[in-house]
Amino acid sequence: MNPFEIKDCALLTRMSGLPAAFNLRELRDRIASCSADVLYHHFCETPLAPSFDYPDYRNDFAVWIKHKLDDDILAERLGIIDPYSFPSMEKLRVATLEIIDDRLSELTVIPWARPGHEFYFTEASTVVFDTGERVLHPKDLGAAIGAMTTGSIYYHFLEARRRPPRCVDDFSSWLSGFGKAWAPHVRALKQIDFTFYTLAELRTELLKVLKDVKGSNERAGKRAKP
Amino acid sequence: MIRSIDAYRDIVSAPVIRQLRRLGERLGGIRVVHVNSTAEGGGVAEILAWMVPLMRDLGIDAQWRVIQGTPEFFSVTKAIHNGLQGYPVSITGKDWEIYQEVNQSNAVQLRAELEEADIVVIHDPQPAPLLGLCRNRKGKWIWRAHIDISRPSRPVWKTLRSHVEKYDASIFSMNPFAQLLPHPQFVIAPSIDPLSEKNMELDQDELDAVRERFGLNTRKPLLVQISRFDRFKDPVGVIKAYHLIRTVIPVQLVLAGGEATDDPEGKAVIGEVREAAGNDPDIHVLLLPPDAHRTINALQRLADIIIQKSTREGFGLTVTEGLWKGKPVIGGDSGGIRLQVIGYYTGFLVNTPEGTARRIRFLLHHRERMSQMGVTAREFVRENFLLTRHLREYLTLMLLLRSGVGEHRIFI
Repeated sequence: MNPFEIKDCALLTRMSGLPAAFNLRELRDRIASCSADVLYHHFCETPLAPSFDYPDYRNDFAVWIKHKLDDDILAERLGIIDPYSFPSMEKLRVATLEIIDDRLSELTVIPWARPGHEFYFTEASTVVFDTGERVLHPKDLGAAIGAMTTGSIYYHFLEARRRPPRCVDDFSSWLSGFGKAWAPHVRALKQIDFTFYTLAELRTELLKVLKDVKGSNERAGKRAKP
Repeated sequence: MIRSIDAYRDIVSAPVIRQLRRLGERLGGIRVVHVNSTAEGGGVAEILAWMVPLMRDLGIDAQWRVIQGTPEFFSVTKAIHNGLQGYPVSITGKDWEIYQEVNQSNAVQLRAELEEADIVVIHDPQPAPLLGLCRNRKGKWIWRAHIDISRPSRPVWKTLRSHVEKYDASIFSMNPFAQLLPHPQFVIAPSIDPLSEKNMELDQDELDAVRERFGLNTRKPLLVQISRFDRFKDPVGVIKAYHLIRTVIPVQLVLAGGEATDDPEGKAVIGEVREAAGNDPDIHVLLLPPDAHRTINALQRLADIIIQKSTREGFGLTVTEGLWKGKPVIGGDSGGIRLQVIGYYTGFLVNTPEGTARRIRFLLHHRERMSQMGVTAREFVRENFLLTRHLREYLTLMLLLRSGVGEHRIFI
C-alpha cells in the first residue's frame, strides 16, 4: 500500500461578480444562475472562512435566512441539507431551489433584509500543496492527524468527498487498503457527523474516534487470550 | 520589535506556523513592496509594521515604502477618504491635481523599485495613482482598500476608480466593501498581532500604574473607546451615552486616541469632544502619542466594557483588540464591527447613544454573562483574526497571482 500523502490547502474568498440579494426572491434567482463554485463555496467551504460566529447552520444560505430574513422555518429546512450527499452540484442546486420555491409558495410577503445586511455571493480560490509528509502505516495515522493543519483536515476529510471515489474521505479510502483489521476504523470514521464541528473540533473528533477503536480492539484482544 | 513567526507557535499552534513556512517556501524569495501614506498612526501602519518583517522571516523579500505628502495633499486625501465612506465632500479639479502631483513626485523616488518588484501592494487611495506612473512595471499590482467604500460618493469613486481599475487584483476587508471592478476582488479581513505592545499580556503593576496616571477610580466601572478623533467614530455620541448611564449607574469614561499624520480633521473633533465632556471628572479625553501602544493596551485591559460606536468603519481593529482581551464590545452597527460583534455572544451592536447606554447598563447588571462573552470572544479571535490567518491569505493571494488569478484551484 502506498504511503498516505499529507496535503494542505489555503483558501481565499473572492467576489463572484453576482449582485447581492436583498430578499428571498433574489436569493432564489441568484442560486439558480450562480456557478457551481459559488454554490460549493456557500455550502461546503464555510468551515474555512474566518468568522466570529458559531452558526446554527453550516451553509451560508440558511444562516442568512435565519438571521437576516428572520425565516426560521426555511432556515431549518435548508440547514439540514448535506451537500456531500448529492452526486453533483447541479443536483444540490435543484434540491435547494425546490425547498426555497416551496417556502415562497407558503409566504404571502417576500422577506427582505435590512440595508447593509444583504447576501453577497462569493467563491474561493484554493491553493493545494503537498506538505512532503507521509504516513507509512495506519497505526501512525492518529498522530499525523493530531499534527495536521485545519486546511489538511478540510482537504482530506471534507473536500475529499467531492473527488473520486465520491463521498469517501481520504483517511477511510487509505485505511480500506489495509484489509479487515482496519475496517472498524473506517466504519468509525464514516459515523462522524461532521456537520456540527469546526475544523479544529473535527480534528479532535477524528483523534477520539481512532483512539476509541484502538482501545476497543485492545480490550477485545485481551478477552480473546486464554 | 522584530520577531520570528515561531514566536507565535504557543498562541496559534505548531501546524499553523508550519503551514505558513511552507507557503513562504513556495514563493521562493519574491520581492514584494508595500506602499502606504503614513509610517505611524492608524490601522494600516500597524498592520505593515508586523507584516513586512514576518514576510521576510518567511523568505519573502518584503519592503515597505511610505509616500511623502504636503499638508494640502493630506487634506485632499482625507476628503477622498471621507467621500469614499459616503460623506458629502467637495473635491475640486485643483485638488485632484495636487493628488496627482504628489504621487508624481513620489513616483520619481519609487519608480525603479516598484517597476522591478514581483508584487506591489498599494494600500488605500493615497498612493493609488502610482500604478499609472510606473509604465514599465513587471510584476503584479494589488490595490488594498482598508476602508468601507460600500456607498461611496459617486464623483469621488469615479475618479479613483480610473486609477484602481488598472490593477491586477484588489483586496477588500469585507464583502460589502467591494466595488464592481474589471479584475478579481478578494476578501481579506485584517487582524491583530497578539505579541505587539498593544496586545501582549501586561502585569498588574503596569495596569495599576496606568490607572493611577490617569486618575481612574477603582470602584466605578470603566468604559473605554480607543480610536482616533474622527466624526465617523462618534465620540460625542459616546459622551451622550455616558450621560444616560450616569443617571442610574456611576461609571467613568475614557476616550483615548491619537492623531495620525494624514488626518488634519482631528483637532477640530477633539475640540468638539472636549466641549461635550465639559468639566466632568469622570470623563477622560486622552490625546496619546502614536507610540502609546502599551498605554492603550492597559486601558483596554482595565476596561469593563469596550465601546466602538462608529457610524462608518473599515474593519474596526480596536474591536478585535478588545475582544482579544476578553472584553464584551458595544459596537456601532457598521462595517466590520457587524462581523465581530454578535449579539449576546461577543457584545452588542448599537445605532444610537440611547442604545449604547441601554446595552451597557444591561451588561453591568449581568457580570457573569460579560465574562462568558469575553471567553468566547478571545477564542474566535485566536481562531480567525490573528495575524497568522492574515499572513496566510496574503501568501495564498501571491501564489494565485503568480499562477494566474483566473484559476480557482492551483496545485503547487
